[in-house]
Amino acid sequence: MIQFAQVCKRYPNGQDALRNVDLEIKAGEMAFLTGHSGAGKSTMLKLISLMERATSGQVIINGKNLNRIKRRKIPSIRRDIGMIFQDHRLLFDRSVFDNVALPLMIAGYDHREIGRRVRAALDKVGLLSKEKNTPIMLSGGEQQRVGIARAVVNKPPLLLADEPTGNLDPELSAEIMKLFEQFNQVGVSLLIASHDLSLLAQMHYRTLVMKESRLVQDQIDDVLEVDDSFEQDNDTNLVRSADEF
Amino acid sequence: MSSESGAILHEGATISARFKMLLRLHKLEARRGLAEIVDNPISNFMTVLVIAIALALPAGLQVLLENGKTLSQSWDGASRISLYLKLNVSNSQTEHLAKSIKDNPAIDSVEVIYPEQALKDFSASSGFADALAELDSNPLPPTLVVQPNVNHTSPLASETLLSEFKQFELVEKAQLDLDWVRKLHALLELAEKAASALGLALGLAVLLIVGNTIRLSVQNRREEIEVVKLVGATDAFIRRPFLYTGFWYGLLAGVLCWLILEVSLIWLHQPVQNLAGLYQSEFAISSLNIKQSFQLVGISCALGLLGSWLSVGRHIRNIEPR
Repeated sequence: MIQFAQVCKRYPNGQDALRNVDLEIKAGEMAFLTGHSGAGKSTMLKLISLMERATSGQVIINGKNLNRIKRRKIPSIRRDIGMIFQDHRLLFDRSVFDNVALPLMIAGYDHREIGRRVRAALDKVGLLSKEKNTPIMLSGGEQQRVGIARAVVNKPPLLLADEPTGNLDPELSAEIMKLFEQFNQVGVSLLIASHDLSLLAQMHYRTLVMKESRLVQDQIDDVLEVDDSFEQDNDTNLVRSADEF
Repeated sequence: MSSESGAILHEGATISARFKMLLRLHKLEARRGLAEIVDNPISNFMTVLVIAIALALPAGLQVLLENGKTLSQSWDGASRISLYLKLNVSNSQTEHLAKSIKDNPAIDSVEVIYPEQALKDFSASSGFADALAELDSNPLPPTLVVQPNVNHTSPLASETLLSEFKQFELVEKAQLDLDWVRKLHALLELAEKAASALGLALGLAVLLIVGNTIRLSVQNRREEIEVVKLVGATDAFIRRPFLYTGFWYGLLAGVLCWLILEVSLIWLHQPVQNLAGLYQSEFAISSLNIKQSFQLVGISCALGLLGSWLSVGRHIRNIEPR
Protein backbone atom coordinates (compact mmCIF):
# COMPACT_ATOMS: atom_id res chain seq x y z
CA MET A 1 0.00 0.00 0.00
CA ILE A 2 2.74 2.40 1.03
CA GLN A 3 6.30 1.95 -0.14
CA PHE A 4 9.23 4.27 0.54
CA ALA A 5 12.56 3.48 -1.12
CA GLN A 6 15.56 5.60 -0.14
CA VAL A 7 13.36 8.64 0.20
CA CYS A 8 14.98 11.98 0.97
CA LYS A 9 13.26 15.27 1.39
CA ARG A 10 15.10 18.54 1.60
CA TYR A 11 13.06 21.73 1.95
CA PRO A 12 14.05 24.83 -0.01
CA ASN A 13 15.51 26.34 3.17
CA GLY A 14 18.08 23.52 3.23
CA GLN A 15 16.50 21.59 6.06
CA ASP A 16 16.63 17.83 5.61
CA ALA A 17 13.26 16.49 6.70
CA LEU A 18 13.75 12.89 5.62
CA ARG A 19 16.96 11.00 5.06
CA ASN A 20 17.04 7.68 3.24
CA VAL A 21 13.76 6.36 4.53
CA ASP A 22 12.82 2.80 3.54
CA LEU A 23 9.42 1.55 4.53
CA GLU A 24 6.67 -0.75 3.47
CA ILE A 25 3.15 -0.90 4.78
CA LYS A 26 1.07 -3.66 3.27
CA ALA A 27 -2.55 -3.42 2.24
CA GLY A 28 -4.81 -3.90 5.25
CA GLU A 29 -2.09 -3.04 7.73
CA MET A 30 -2.42 -0.53 10.55
CA ALA A 31 0.69 1.28 11.72
CA PHE A 32 1.61 4.12 14.03
CA LEU A 33 4.21 6.73 13.29
CA THR A 34 5.81 8.46 16.21
CA GLY A 35 8.81 10.58 17.10
CA HIS A 36 9.84 14.12 18.00
CA SER A 37 8.32 17.17 16.54
CA GLY A 38 10.36 17.90 13.48
CA ALA A 39 11.56 14.30 13.24
CA GLY A 40 9.85 13.99 9.86
CA LYS A 41 6.43 12.51 10.64
CA SER A 42 4.48 15.29 8.99
CA THR A 43 6.79 15.32 6.01
CA MET A 44 6.16 11.63 5.53
CA LEU A 45 2.40 12.14 5.52
CA LYS A 46 2.78 15.09 3.17
CA LEU A 47 4.76 13.00 0.71
CA ILE A 48 2.07 10.32 0.73
CA SER A 49 -0.72 12.85 0.16
CA LEU A 50 1.32 14.70 -2.48
CA MET A 51 1.41 17.93 -0.54
CA GLU A 52 5.15 17.69 -0.99
CA ARG A 53 7.36 15.82 -3.42
CA ALA A 54 10.36 13.70 -2.53
CA THR A 55 13.73 15.23 -3.36
CA SER A 56 15.04 11.77 -4.21
CA GLY A 57 13.92 8.17 -3.87
CA GLN A 58 10.61 6.53 -4.68
CA VAL A 59 7.26 6.87 -2.98
CA ILE A 60 4.81 4.28 -4.23
CA ILE A 61 1.21 4.42 -3.05
CA ASN A 62 -1.35 1.86 -4.10
CA GLY A 63 0.99 0.70 -6.86
CA LYS A 64 1.44 4.22 -8.24
CA ASN A 65 4.84 5.85 -8.26
CA LEU A 66 4.15 9.37 -7.04
CA ASN A 67 7.25 10.74 -8.73
CA ARG A 68 5.55 10.21 -12.03
CA ILE A 69 2.22 11.77 -11.08
CA LYS A 70 1.57 15.00 -12.93
CA ARG A 71 -0.02 17.92 -11.18
CA ARG A 72 -3.45 17.44 -12.68
CA LYS A 73 -3.51 13.79 -11.62
CA ILE A 74 -3.02 14.68 -7.96
CA PRO A 75 -6.77 14.91 -7.18
CA SER A 76 -7.41 11.36 -8.33
CA ILE A 77 -4.60 10.09 -6.07
CA ARG A 78 -5.96 12.02 -3.11
CA ARG A 79 -9.42 10.54 -3.61
CA ASP A 80 -8.00 7.16 -2.68
CA ILE A 81 -6.55 8.52 0.56
CA GLY A 82 -8.69 9.55 3.49
CA MET A 83 -6.98 12.23 5.54
CA ILE A 84 -7.65 13.08 9.17
CA PHE A 85 -6.11 16.16 10.74
CA GLN A 86 -5.47 17.27 14.27
CA ASP A 87 -7.30 20.53 13.62
CA HIS A 88 -10.06 18.65 11.76
CA ARG A 89 -10.07 21.05 8.81
CA LEU A 90 -13.83 21.22 8.53
CA LEU A 91 -15.70 23.87 6.57
CA PHE A 92 -17.47 25.93 9.19
CA ASP A 93 -19.96 27.55 6.86
CA ARG A 94 -21.50 24.22 5.91
CA SER A 95 -23.48 21.62 7.78
CA VAL A 96 -22.01 18.41 9.11
CA PHE A 97 -23.78 16.58 6.29
CA ASP A 98 -22.27 18.82 3.62
CA ASN A 99 -18.82 18.47 5.13
CA VAL A 100 -18.97 14.72 5.00
CA ALA A 101 -20.56 14.77 1.52
CA LEU A 102 -17.69 16.84 0.08
CA PRO A 103 -15.49 13.97 -1.21
CA LEU A 104 -18.51 12.33 -2.82
CA MET A 105 -19.64 15.54 -4.50
CA ILE A 106 -16.15 16.04 -5.84
CA ALA A 107 -16.10 12.50 -7.20
CA GLY A 108 -19.46 13.14 -8.86
CA TYR A 109 -21.70 10.71 -7.03
CA ASP A 110 -25.45 10.62 -7.52
CA HIS A 111 -27.20 12.60 -4.80
CA ARG A 112 -29.20 9.66 -3.46
CA GLU A 113 -26.01 7.68 -3.21
CA ILE A 114 -24.42 10.65 -1.44
CA GLY A 115 -27.24 10.76 1.09
CA ARG A 116 -26.98 7.04 1.72
CA ARG A 117 -23.23 6.99 2.16
CA VAL A 118 -23.00 10.16 4.24
CA ARG A 119 -25.61 8.84 6.67
CA ALA A 120 -23.82 5.50 6.84
CA ALA A 121 -20.54 7.27 7.63
CA LEU A 122 -22.14 9.54 10.22
CA ASP A 123 -23.88 6.57 11.78
CA LYS A 124 -20.53 4.82 12.01
CA VAL A 125 -19.01 7.67 14.02
CA GLY A 126 -22.20 8.11 16.04
CA LEU A 127 -23.19 11.53 14.77
CA LEU A 128 -26.23 10.73 12.66
CA SER A 129 -28.42 12.97 14.80
CA LYS A 130 -26.13 15.98 14.17
CA GLU A 131 -26.09 15.99 10.41
CA LYS A 132 -27.88 19.35 10.18
CA ASN A 133 -25.66 21.09 12.75
CA THR A 134 -22.72 23.20 11.75
CA PRO A 135 -19.31 22.04 13.04
CA ILE A 136 -19.05 25.05 15.33
CA MET A 137 -21.91 23.64 17.44
CA LEU A 138 -19.99 20.42 18.08
CA SER A 139 -17.39 19.54 20.72
CA GLY A 140 -13.77 18.87 19.76
CA GLY A 141 -14.26 15.11 19.84
CA GLU A 142 -17.38 15.36 17.72
CA GLN A 143 -15.61 17.58 15.22
CA GLN A 144 -12.84 15.02 14.96
CA ARG A 145 -15.41 12.32 14.31
CA VAL A 146 -16.93 14.44 11.53
CA GLY A 147 -13.45 14.67 10.07
CA ILE A 148 -13.15 10.89 10.25
CA ALA A 149 -16.54 10.42 8.63
CA ARG A 150 -15.41 12.68 5.80
CA ALA A 151 -12.21 10.70 5.39
CA VAL A 152 -13.94 7.34 5.12
CA VAL A 153 -17.13 8.30 3.29
CA ASN A 154 -15.85 7.35 -0.16
CA LYS A 155 -14.24 4.19 1.24
CA PRO A 156 -10.62 4.92 0.41
CA PRO A 157 -8.22 1.97 0.75
CA LEU A 158 -5.84 4.08 2.83
CA LEU A 159 -6.37 6.38 5.80
CA LEU A 160 -3.77 8.86 7.02
CA ALA A 161 -4.21 10.50 10.39
CA ASP A 162 -2.00 13.28 11.73
CA GLU A 163 -2.26 13.51 15.51
CA PRO A 164 -5.94 12.54 15.43
CA THR A 165 -6.16 12.52 19.22
CA GLY A 166 -3.87 15.45 19.86
CA ASN A 167 -6.53 17.65 21.39
CA LEU A 168 -8.68 14.97 22.99
CA ASP A 169 -8.83 13.53 26.47
CA PRO A 170 -7.83 9.83 26.92
CA GLU A 171 -11.39 8.53 26.87
CA LEU A 172 -12.24 10.21 23.58
CA SER A 173 -8.87 9.17 22.19
CA ALA A 174 -9.60 5.56 22.97
CA GLU A 175 -12.96 5.89 21.19
CA ILE A 176 -11.30 7.29 18.10
CA MET A 177 -8.75 4.46 18.14
CA LYS A 178 -11.55 1.95 18.40
CA LEU A 179 -13.04 3.46 15.24
CA PHE A 180 -9.72 3.11 13.48
CA GLU A 181 -9.50 -0.52 14.49
CA GLN A 182 -12.97 -1.11 13.07
CA PHE A 183 -11.93 0.38 9.74
CA ASN A 184 -8.82 -1.74 9.76
CA GLN A 185 -10.92 -4.83 10.35
CA VAL A 186 -12.76 -4.25 7.07
CA GLY A 187 -9.48 -4.03 5.20
CA VAL A 188 -8.54 -0.36 5.27
CA SER A 189 -4.83 0.40 5.64
CA LEU A 190 -4.03 3.06 8.23
CA LEU A 191 -1.00 5.15 9.03
CA ILE A 192 -1.46 7.18 12.18
CA ALA A 193 1.05 9.78 13.32
CA SER A 194 0.83 10.27 17.06
CA HIS A 195 2.71 11.49 20.09
CA ASP A 196 0.40 9.76 22.47
CA LEU A 197 2.79 7.14 23.84
CA SER A 198 0.45 5.81 26.50
CA LEU A 199 -2.16 5.29 23.81
CA LEU A 200 0.36 3.54 21.56
CA ALA A 201 1.35 1.30 24.43
CA GLN A 202 -2.23 0.10 24.76
CA MET A 203 -2.56 -0.62 21.08
CA HIS A 204 -0.61 -3.58 19.86
CA TYR A 205 0.25 -2.43 16.42
CA ARG A 206 3.31 -1.88 14.34
CA THR A 207 5.04 1.30 15.39
CA LEU A 208 7.50 3.31 13.37
CA VAL A 209 9.73 5.69 15.28
CA MET A 210 11.29 8.67 13.54
CA LYS A 211 14.32 10.47 14.86
CA GLU A 212 16.29 13.24 13.20
CA SER A 213 14.75 12.66 9.80
CA ARG A 214 15.43 8.92 9.88
CA LEU A 215 13.33 5.90 10.57
CA VAL A 216 15.08 4.45 13.61
CA GLN A 217 12.69 1.78 14.87
CA ASP A 218 10.16 -0.41 13.20
CA GLN A 219 8.61 -3.00 15.44
CA ILE A 220 5.43 -4.92 15.63
CA ASP A 221 5.46 -6.09 19.24
CA ASP A 222 3.96 -4.04 22.01
CA VAL A 223 7.16 -3.10 23.80
CA LEU A 224 8.10 0.33 22.65
CA GLU A 225 11.68 1.18 23.45
CA VAL A 226 11.67 4.87 23.71
CA ASP A 227 14.74 6.76 24.78
CA ASP A 228 14.51 9.14 27.71
CA SER A 229 14.82 12.36 25.83
CA PHE A 230 11.78 11.50 23.82
CA GLU A 231 9.70 10.95 26.96
CA GLN A 232 10.76 14.28 28.39
CA ASP A 233 9.98 16.19 25.24
CA ASN A 234 6.61 14.68 24.89
CA ASP A 235 4.53 17.35 26.61
CA THR A 236 6.02 20.23 24.69
CA ASN A 237 5.68 18.26 21.51
CA LEU A 238 1.97 17.93 22.03
CA VAL A 239 1.65 21.68 22.13
CA ARG A 240 3.97 22.29 19.22
CA SER A 241 2.49 19.70 16.98
CA ALA A 242 -0.73 21.68 16.84
CA ASP A 243 0.99 24.10 14.49
CA GLU A 244 2.21 21.38 12.21
CA PHE A 245 0.70 19.82 9.11
CA MET B 1 -11.36 -1.21 -2.65
CA SER B 2 -10.32 1.53 -4.98
CA SER B 3 -12.53 0.20 -7.74
CA GLU B 4 -15.48 0.76 -5.46
CA SER B 5 -14.70 4.38 -4.75
CA GLY B 6 -16.27 6.50 -7.41
CA ALA B 7 -17.70 3.45 -9.11
CA ILE B 8 -21.13 5.03 -9.25
CA LEU B 9 -20.29 7.28 -12.13
CA HIS B 10 -17.21 5.70 -13.54
CA GLU B 11 -18.82 2.47 -14.56
CA GLY B 12 -22.51 1.86 -13.99
CA ALA B 13 -24.10 5.22 -14.63
CA THR B 14 -26.08 5.93 -17.75
CA ILE B 15 -25.40 9.09 -19.67
CA SER B 16 -28.67 10.64 -18.56
CA ALA B 17 -27.84 9.91 -14.91
CA ARG B 18 -24.46 11.55 -15.32
CA PHE B 19 -26.05 14.51 -17.00
CA LYS B 20 -28.63 14.84 -14.22
CA MET B 21 -25.86 14.69 -11.65
CA LEU B 22 -23.88 17.34 -13.46
CA LEU B 23 -26.97 19.52 -13.73
CA ARG B 24 -27.60 19.18 -10.02
CA LEU B 25 -24.02 20.05 -9.27
CA HIS B 26 -24.19 23.12 -11.48
CA LYS B 27 -27.44 24.21 -9.88
CA LEU B 28 -25.84 23.88 -6.48
CA GLU B 29 -22.76 25.78 -7.53
CA ALA B 30 -24.78 28.48 -9.28
CA ARG B 31 -26.68 28.94 -6.02
CA ARG B 32 -23.46 28.99 -4.03
CA GLY B 33 -22.01 31.58 -6.42
CA LEU B 34 -25.09 33.74 -5.97
CA ALA B 35 -25.04 33.25 -2.20
CA GLU B 36 -21.49 34.59 -2.26
CA ILE B 37 -22.91 37.84 -3.61
CA VAL B 38 -26.07 37.95 -1.50
CA ASP B 39 -24.17 37.23 1.74
CA ASN B 40 -22.29 40.46 1.39
CA PRO B 41 -24.86 42.74 -0.18
CA ILE B 42 -23.39 46.20 0.29
CA SER B 43 -19.87 45.72 -1.01
CA ASN B 44 -21.10 43.46 -3.80
CA PHE B 45 -23.76 45.98 -4.78
CA MET B 46 -20.97 48.53 -5.11
CA THR B 47 -19.08 46.18 -7.41
CA VAL B 48 -22.17 45.54 -9.50
CA LEU B 49 -22.87 49.27 -9.64
CA VAL B 50 -19.34 50.07 -10.78
CA ILE B 51 -19.58 47.47 -13.52
CA ALA B 52 -23.03 48.75 -14.53
CA ILE B 53 -21.79 52.33 -14.79
CA ALA B 54 -18.71 51.26 -16.74
CA LEU B 55 -21.04 49.51 -19.18
CA ALA B 56 -23.66 52.25 -19.21
CA LEU B 57 -21.22 54.86 -20.56
CA PRO B 58 -20.38 53.17 -23.88
CA ALA B 59 -23.82 51.60 -24.19
CA GLY B 60 -25.52 54.96 -23.61
CA LEU B 61 -23.27 56.63 -26.14
CA GLN B 62 -24.13 53.89 -28.60
CA VAL B 63 -27.85 54.48 -28.09
CA LEU B 64 -27.45 58.21 -28.59
CA LEU B 65 -25.42 57.65 -31.74
CA GLU B 66 -28.04 55.30 -33.07
CA ASN B 67 -30.62 58.00 -32.47
CA GLY B 68 -28.38 60.53 -34.19
CA LYS B 69 -28.16 58.25 -37.20
CA THR B 70 -31.92 57.84 -37.47
CA LEU B 71 -32.24 61.57 -37.24
CA SER B 72 -29.69 62.23 -39.97
CA GLN B 73 -31.27 59.57 -42.14
CA SER B 74 -34.66 61.21 -41.87
CA TRP B 75 -32.98 64.35 -43.17
CA ASP B 76 -31.26 62.58 -46.01
CA GLY B 77 -34.51 62.45 -47.95
CA ALA B 78 -34.62 66.21 -47.74
CA SER B 79 -31.24 66.77 -49.31
CA ARG B 80 -32.67 69.11 -51.87
CA ILE B 81 -30.70 71.44 -54.07
CA SER B 82 -31.94 74.99 -54.50
CA LEU B 83 -31.08 76.72 -57.78
CA TYR B 84 -31.42 80.50 -57.60
CA LEU B 85 -31.62 81.75 -61.17
CA LYS B 86 -30.47 85.11 -62.44
CA LEU B 87 -32.95 87.93 -61.87
CA ASN B 88 -33.53 88.60 -65.55
CA VAL B 89 -34.54 85.06 -66.41
CA SER B 90 -38.06 84.94 -67.79
CA ASN B 91 -40.73 82.55 -66.63
CA SER B 92 -40.66 80.58 -69.87
CA GLN B 93 -36.90 80.21 -69.66
CA THR B 94 -37.33 79.02 -66.09
CA GLU B 95 -39.90 76.48 -67.13
CA HIS B 96 -37.71 75.28 -69.95
CA LEU B 97 -34.74 74.81 -67.63
CA ALA B 98 -36.93 72.99 -65.13
CA LYS B 99 -38.04 70.59 -67.82
CA SER B 100 -34.48 69.86 -68.98
CA ILE B 101 -33.35 69.21 -65.42
CA LYS B 102 -36.33 66.95 -64.86
CA ASP B 103 -35.12 64.82 -67.80
CA ASN B 104 -31.98 63.94 -65.88
CA PRO B 105 -32.49 60.40 -64.55
CA ALA B 106 -30.86 61.36 -61.25
CA ILE B 107 -33.59 63.87 -60.53
CA ASP B 108 -36.82 62.93 -58.90
CA SER B 109 -38.74 66.18 -59.13
CA VAL B 110 -38.26 69.85 -59.79
CA GLU B 111 -40.39 72.48 -58.13
CA VAL B 112 -40.57 75.88 -59.76
CA ILE B 113 -41.02 78.97 -57.59
CA TYR B 114 -41.69 82.04 -59.67
CA PRO B 115 -40.58 85.39 -58.26
CA GLU B 116 -44.19 86.59 -57.86
CA GLN B 117 -45.12 83.51 -55.87
CA ALA B 118 -41.97 83.75 -53.78
CA LEU B 119 -42.69 87.38 -52.94
CA LYS B 120 -46.27 86.56 -51.99
CA ASP B 121 -45.17 83.70 -49.72
CA PHE B 122 -42.44 85.75 -48.18
CA SER B 123 -44.65 88.71 -47.42
CA ALA B 124 -47.25 86.40 -45.94
CA SER B 125 -44.81 84.56 -43.69
CA SER B 126 -42.37 87.30 -42.80
CA GLY B 127 -44.77 90.02 -41.68
CA PHE B 128 -42.97 92.55 -43.87
CA ALA B 129 -45.93 92.77 -46.28
CA ASP B 130 -46.17 96.59 -46.02
CA ALA B 131 -42.49 97.15 -46.51
CA LEU B 132 -42.37 94.76 -49.44
CA ALA B 133 -45.30 96.52 -51.07
CA GLU B 134 -43.18 99.69 -51.19
CA LEU B 135 -40.60 98.04 -53.45
CA ASP B 136 -40.82 98.98 -57.11
CA SER B 137 -39.41 95.73 -58.37
CA ASN B 138 -39.39 92.16 -57.10
CA PRO B 139 -35.95 91.47 -55.55
CA LEU B 140 -36.51 87.71 -55.48
CA PRO B 141 -35.12 85.50 -58.25
CA PRO B 142 -36.96 82.59 -59.81
CA THR B 143 -35.99 79.44 -57.94
CA LEU B 144 -35.90 75.75 -58.79
CA VAL B 145 -36.02 73.27 -55.95
CA VAL B 146 -34.46 70.08 -57.24
CA GLN B 147 -35.03 66.81 -55.45
CA PRO B 148 -32.50 64.16 -56.45
CA ASN B 149 -33.87 60.64 -56.37
CA VAL B 150 -32.95 58.33 -53.51
CA ASN B 151 -29.91 56.91 -55.24
CA HIS B 152 -28.32 60.31 -55.52
CA THR B 153 -28.63 61.71 -52.04
CA SER B 154 -25.23 60.61 -50.79
CA PRO B 155 -22.79 63.43 -50.12
CA LEU B 156 -20.69 62.55 -53.17
CA ALA B 157 -23.60 62.31 -55.64
CA SER B 158 -25.09 65.55 -54.29
CA GLU B 159 -21.75 67.20 -54.78
CA THR B 160 -21.57 66.04 -58.42
CA LEU B 161 -25.06 67.27 -59.16
CA LEU B 162 -24.32 70.55 -57.47
CA SER B 163 -21.24 71.25 -59.57
CA GLU B 164 -23.19 70.27 -62.68
CA PHE B 165 -25.92 72.77 -61.87
CA LYS B 166 -23.44 75.49 -61.10
CA GLN B 167 -22.29 75.44 -64.73
CA PHE B 168 -25.74 76.26 -66.09
CA GLU B 169 -25.76 79.73 -67.59
CA LEU B 170 -29.05 80.76 -66.08
CA VAL B 171 -28.09 79.69 -62.56
CA GLU B 172 -26.83 82.44 -60.31
CA LYS B 173 -26.30 80.26 -57.27
CA ALA B 174 -26.72 76.56 -56.53
CA GLN B 175 -26.98 75.51 -52.92
CA LEU B 176 -27.20 72.18 -51.21
CA ASP B 177 -29.89 72.74 -48.59
CA LEU B 178 -28.52 70.46 -45.97
CA ASP B 179 -24.82 70.87 -46.35
CA TRP B 180 -24.53 70.36 -42.64
CA VAL B 181 -26.11 66.91 -42.85
CA ARG B 182 -22.81 65.80 -44.32
CA LYS B 183 -20.93 67.39 -41.51
CA LEU B 184 -23.22 65.63 -39.07
CA HIS B 185 -22.47 62.36 -40.85
CA ALA B 186 -18.76 62.88 -40.47
CA LEU B 187 -19.21 63.84 -36.87
CA LEU B 188 -21.29 60.77 -36.15
CA GLU B 189 -18.68 58.56 -37.74
CA LEU B 190 -16.03 60.08 -35.53
CA ALA B 191 -18.20 59.72 -32.46
CA GLU B 192 -18.86 56.10 -33.34
CA LYS B 193 -15.14 55.37 -33.44
CA ALA B 194 -14.71 57.14 -30.14
CA ALA B 195 -17.57 55.13 -28.65
CA SER B 196 -15.99 51.89 -29.82
CA ALA B 197 -12.68 52.86 -28.26
CA LEU B 198 -14.43 53.85 -25.05
CA GLY B 199 -16.38 50.59 -25.09
CA LEU B 200 -13.19 48.61 -25.49
CA ALA B 201 -11.44 50.45 -22.69
CA LEU B 202 -14.36 50.15 -20.29
CA GLY B 203 -14.91 46.50 -21.25
CA LEU B 204 -11.32 45.91 -20.21
CA ALA B 205 -12.00 47.82 -17.01
CA VAL B 206 -14.96 45.53 -16.29
CA LEU B 207 -12.72 42.49 -16.78
CA LEU B 208 -10.26 43.92 -14.30
CA ILE B 209 -12.95 44.81 -11.77
CA VAL B 210 -14.47 41.34 -11.90
CA GLY B 211 -11.05 39.70 -11.92
CA ASN B 212 -9.94 41.61 -8.87
CA THR B 213 -13.16 40.96 -6.98
CA ILE B 214 -12.85 37.26 -7.69
CA ARG B 215 -9.21 37.31 -6.66
CA LEU B 216 -10.20 38.71 -3.26
CA SER B 217 -12.95 36.17 -2.96
CA VAL B 218 -10.48 33.36 -3.72
CA GLN B 219 -8.12 34.69 -1.07
CA ASN B 220 -10.92 34.92 1.46
CA ARG B 221 -11.71 31.28 0.90
CA ARG B 222 -8.14 30.11 0.89
CA GLU B 223 -8.63 27.71 3.76
CA GLU B 224 -11.71 26.19 2.22
CA ILE B 225 -9.90 25.71 -1.09
CA GLU B 226 -7.05 23.95 0.70
CA VAL B 227 -9.47 21.56 2.38
CA VAL B 228 -11.33 20.86 -0.82
CA LYS B 229 -8.05 20.19 -2.60
CA LEU B 230 -7.03 17.80 0.15
CA VAL B 231 -10.11 15.68 -0.34
CA GLY B 232 -9.35 15.39 -4.03
CA ALA B 233 -11.02 18.29 -5.80
CA THR B 234 -9.76 19.19 -9.25
CA ASP B 235 -9.06 22.81 -10.14
CA ALA B 236 -12.09 22.74 -12.41
CA PHE B 237 -14.32 21.77 -9.50
CA ILE B 238 -12.96 24.57 -7.34
CA ARG B 239 -13.19 27.04 -10.20
CA ARG B 240 -16.87 26.54 -10.94
CA PRO B 241 -18.52 28.45 -8.06
CA PHE B 242 -16.20 31.39 -8.74
CA LEU B 243 -17.10 31.35 -12.42
CA TYR B 244 -20.74 31.42 -11.40
CA THR B 245 -20.06 34.36 -9.12
CA GLY B 246 -18.49 36.19 -12.07
CA PHE B 247 -21.45 35.32 -14.21
CA TRP B 248 -23.89 36.62 -11.59
CA TYR B 249 -21.93 39.85 -11.32
CA GLY B 250 -22.25 40.23 -15.08
CA LEU B 251 -25.94 39.42 -15.11
CA LEU B 252 -26.83 41.76 -12.24
CA ALA B 253 -24.64 44.53 -13.66
CA GLY B 254 -26.17 44.07 -17.13
CA VAL B 255 -29.69 44.38 -15.79
CA LEU B 256 -28.74 47.37 -13.66
CA CYS B 257 -27.01 48.98 -16.64
CA TRP B 258 -30.16 48.47 -18.71
CA LEU B 259 -32.21 50.13 -15.97
CA ILE B 260 -29.82 53.07 -15.79
CA LEU B 261 -30.06 53.55 -19.56
CA GLU B 262 -33.85 53.25 -19.62
CA VAL B 263 -34.29 55.75 -16.81
CA SER B 264 -31.84 58.19 -18.41
CA LEU B 265 -33.60 57.93 -21.76
CA ILE B 266 -37.01 58.47 -20.18
CA TRP B 267 -35.54 61.45 -18.44
CA LEU B 268 -34.22 62.78 -21.77
CA HIS B 269 -37.43 62.05 -23.66
CA GLN B 270 -39.28 65.32 -22.88
CA PRO B 271 -36.39 67.75 -23.48
CA VAL B 272 -35.56 66.04 -26.78
CA GLN B 273 -39.16 66.24 -27.89
CA ASN B 274 -39.26 69.92 -27.00
CA LEU B 275 -36.11 70.54 -28.99
CA ALA B 276 -37.37 68.53 -31.95
CA GLY B 277 -40.63 70.48 -31.78
CA LEU B 278 -38.68 73.70 -32.28
CA TYR B 279 -37.39 72.27 -35.56
CA GLN B 280 -40.85 71.06 -36.60
CA SER B 281 -39.62 67.50 -36.25
CA GLU B 282 -41.54 64.51 -35.02
CA PHE B 283 -38.33 62.96 -33.77
CA ALA B 284 -38.55 61.13 -30.48
CA ILE B 285 -35.59 59.53 -28.76
CA SER B 286 -35.87 55.76 -28.87
CA SER B 287 -34.56 53.46 -26.17
CA LEU B 288 -33.10 49.97 -26.53
CA ASN B 289 -35.19 47.42 -28.37
CA ILE B 290 -35.52 43.87 -27.10
CA LYS B 291 -32.61 42.56 -29.14
CA GLN B 292 -30.30 45.31 -27.99
CA SER B 293 -31.36 44.81 -24.38
CA PHE B 294 -30.50 41.14 -24.57
CA GLN B 295 -27.23 41.98 -26.30
CA LEU B 296 -26.33 44.36 -23.51
CA VAL B 297 -27.08 41.85 -20.77
CA GLY B 298 -25.39 39.08 -22.76
CA ILE B 299 -22.20 41.08 -23.21
CA SER B 300 -22.24 41.94 -19.53
CA CYS B 301 -22.61 38.26 -18.54
CA ALA B 302 -19.82 37.27 -20.91
CA LEU B 303 -17.51 39.93 -19.47
CA GLY B 304 -18.29 38.78 -15.92
CA LEU B 305 -17.59 35.18 -16.80
CA LEU B 306 -14.43 35.99 -18.74
CA GLY B 307 -13.08 38.29 -16.02
CA SER B 308 -13.63 35.64 -13.42
CA TRP B 309 -12.18 32.91 -15.62
CA LEU B 310 -9.02 34.91 -16.32
CA SER B 311 -8.50 35.53 -12.62
CA VAL B 312 -9.63 32.38 -10.88
CA GLY B 313 -7.46 29.80 -12.65
CA ARG B 314 -4.24 31.54 -11.80
CA HIS B 315 -5.09 32.19 -8.19
CA ILE B 316 -6.48 28.75 -7.46
CA ARG B 317 -3.33 27.19 -8.86
CA ASN B 318 -1.28 29.13 -6.36
CA ILE B 319 -3.15 27.76 -3.38
CA GLU B 320 -1.76 24.44 -2.29
CA PRO B 321 -2.63 22.73 0.97
CA ARG B 322 0.02 22.97 3.66
